[in-house]
Amino acid sequence: MIILSYLAAGALALALILLSKSHRAMNAFSILHTLAFLAIGFYALLTITVPAFETGNKYFYVDHLSIYEVLIAALLFFLASVYASGYVESLMQAQELHRNNLKIFYMAFSLLLTTATLAFFSDNLALFWIFAELTTVFSAVLVAILSAKENIDAAIKYIFIASGAMLFSFIGLIFLYTLSGEILGSGTLNWTVLMENSVLLSPKMLTASFVFLFIGFAAKSGIFPFHTWLPDAHSKAPSAVSAILSGVLLNIGIYGILRMYAIVRQTEAEAIVSQFLIGFGLLTVTVAVLNMLLQKNLKMLIAFSSVEHMGILLLGIGVGTPFALFWTLFYVLAHSLTKASLFFSAGILHRQYESNLIQDIKDIFSLQPIAGWGFVIGSFAIIGMPPFPIFSAKFFILLEAFEFSKSLVFAVLLLLVIASAAFARVLIGAFTRSSKEAGPEGIETPLLPYTVRNGMKFPIISIIIVILALGVFFPEPLENLLNEIVYELGYL
Amino acid sequence: MISSFLADPTFLEDMVRILFVFVLITAALILSTRNIASLLTVYAVQSLLLVLIASSLYFIEGNRTLLAIAALTLVSKVLLIPIFINIIGEKIKISRDLKFNYLEPTPSLLVSMGLILLAYVFLSGFFNEFILSKLFFMGAVIGLSLTLMGMLVIFSRRKVITKVIGYLTMENGVLLFGIFVADLPFIIEILIVIDLMILVLLTTILAIGLDSTSEEYHQRLQTLKIWSGGEEQ
Repeated sequence: MIILSYLAAGALALALILLSKSHRAMNAFSILHTLAFLAIGFYALLTITVPAFETGNKYFYVDHLSIYEVLIAALLFFLASVYASGYVESLMQAQELHRNNLKIFYMAFSLLLTTATLAFFSDNLALFWIFAELTTVFSAVLVAILSAKENIDAAIKYIFIASGAMLFSFIGLIFLYTLSGEILGSGTLNWTVLMENSVLLSPKMLTASFVFLFIGFAAKSGIFPFHTWLPDAHSKAPSAVSAILSGVLLNIGIYGILRMYAIVRQTEAEAIVSQFLIGFGLLTVTVAVLNMLLQKNLKMLIAFSSVEHMGILLLGIGVGTPFALFWTLFYVLAHSLTKASLFFSAGILHRQYESNLIQDIKDIFSLQPIAGWGFVIGSFAIIGMPPFPIFSAKFFILLEAFEFSKSLVFAVLLLLVIASAAFARVLIGAFTRSSKEAGPEGIETPLLPYTVRNGMKFPIISIIIVILALGVFFPEPLENLLNEIVYELGYL
Repeated sequence: MISSFLADPTFLEDMVRILFVFVLITAALILSTRNIASLLTVYAVQSLLLVLIASSLYFIEGNRTLLAIAALTLVSKVLLIPIFINIIGEKIKISRDLKFNYLEPTPSLLVSMGLILLAYVFLSGFFNEFILSKLFFMGAVIGLSLTLMGMLVIFSRRKVITKVIGYLTMENGVLLFGIFVADLPFIIEILIVIDLMILVLLTTILAIGLDSTSEEYHQRLQTLKIWSGGEEQ
């Protein structure tokens, strides 16, 4: 029923968007779509005994991890669609988004949410693969929607890197299918069956299959060296889309890695795969942080910060203890929310200064107080300052990693300091700049404040309230949910 | 007479080996050909070779899925996709892709040789655990090499249309690998072809957008100012 309700709600929303004529209607249906997905998710969480196969066959599987990921996705889409009500109107007014493309925008938006949801619920890994591919396609449409040359370039780069890498994942799936055929008689790609029989799988072949699968999933989540598409796509997309790309799409790749690691963890291949993940995690963080340090473009900075956080998530998975997994899962939520608030703020700043260059920002607190403070608080949260939730998540992951290797923890801490410096540099440099300090060209004409439209402030303010609350108070239902996931993934 | 050949597994296996060589030749041609129309022909020929390989394998093994795969490949990759790309190619008037990124054709052919060796070494390290006959092992090696060579095309060619052909080559490699290593359910093959079609459709439409150096596009660029401000990146 759950899967069917999701499908029905998704199809209905798509049809209504297709039939609607005004922007207001399309946006309203899109918000309703996200609310329906949130409602179904909470309903499933509260009333249904999971894990369960939902559709009478073994293609879809509902467990706590999938519901958790779907709820995060639906929440992010909800915030983004509320934000889009004003933001997209501004884009059209500035003639950046053509009115003819409006319907395509909302349809791709809606299809993206539906396919991402189905990907999270797929038990069959081939099904997961195809839905993950479709999310690439629809999100590439959203990146290209502004039809400027840079956007199309970024979208094409994104498609080729992500989909090309996903073909290697498919080779991994073929490996896995053959491997399971050797022990079970007939091959299978069902995660639940593979999980049950994981101890029988040959560790060496499982490692090979993991490595191939990792290539595609890593490209989807922007892990080094497959991250090169990410900064372009995330920074050039409209900000409402950037928030989705960082907050939801990256999670799909991490989700795939997490599921695969849960299988590997039961076998002797665990040690080598853990080191593999930690190695790539560390490399990813390093590359991201070095790119952040001298960044001139605000959205690029936020995009590279996403790469950095994916690296830390990889470390969290690689450490492989139940405690580390618990905090990694919490990290996913914290990162998605915080990153969205940064992109939403950056979107308003881009409307104000018509540029993403850090050097163009001035008089920020008098012109755009909400976006300014949103960015400042978001920056504190994203670099992991207490009391924000990323702090506790990072802290406990590193604490667990300490058992693994002390030098690793020191290296990561050093890199995190550099990441903080990158944000501090922007905040101190750009956010204190005032037009009264006359530039070399003399006194410039003061900028008129951009009127922030309805709906654009609400997501920023609500996210900040939520992350502050999550930082100081860990709700018990969330704790229970995360514990269930840790248990279901076979960690306990 | 033909049926006696088809019933002879040794003959069929030799045929498949010869087809492997042809597949590698097409991959080398895709890496070096500059004319878009010829590239498409080469791709169609490569897909046809896969059809022949899958059919021969059907006669050796008797697995019906192989026949279905052959039919699906024939319709989608020998006919539909090349015709579609050809129409788009004419529309955007790109007939040649002259420029190469990073690698010129000769070095990239040398790199491909390295990739084939790499695929061989890698797979022989892992496949000793599988009971796979020589022919099937060879198929897996050629499949993986083809995937890697397709990736090389995506890297080394500039135009989107050529990159699409690179992606299609990669996918052909995965298909080849799949039919020799596992008997995947047919539904999965259908899903991949659907994915492929959507991807080709989208990238070629975007290619039109990129190529439209028409008045309208320039006009739009000007009203846009600089959307991203990230040009110096």
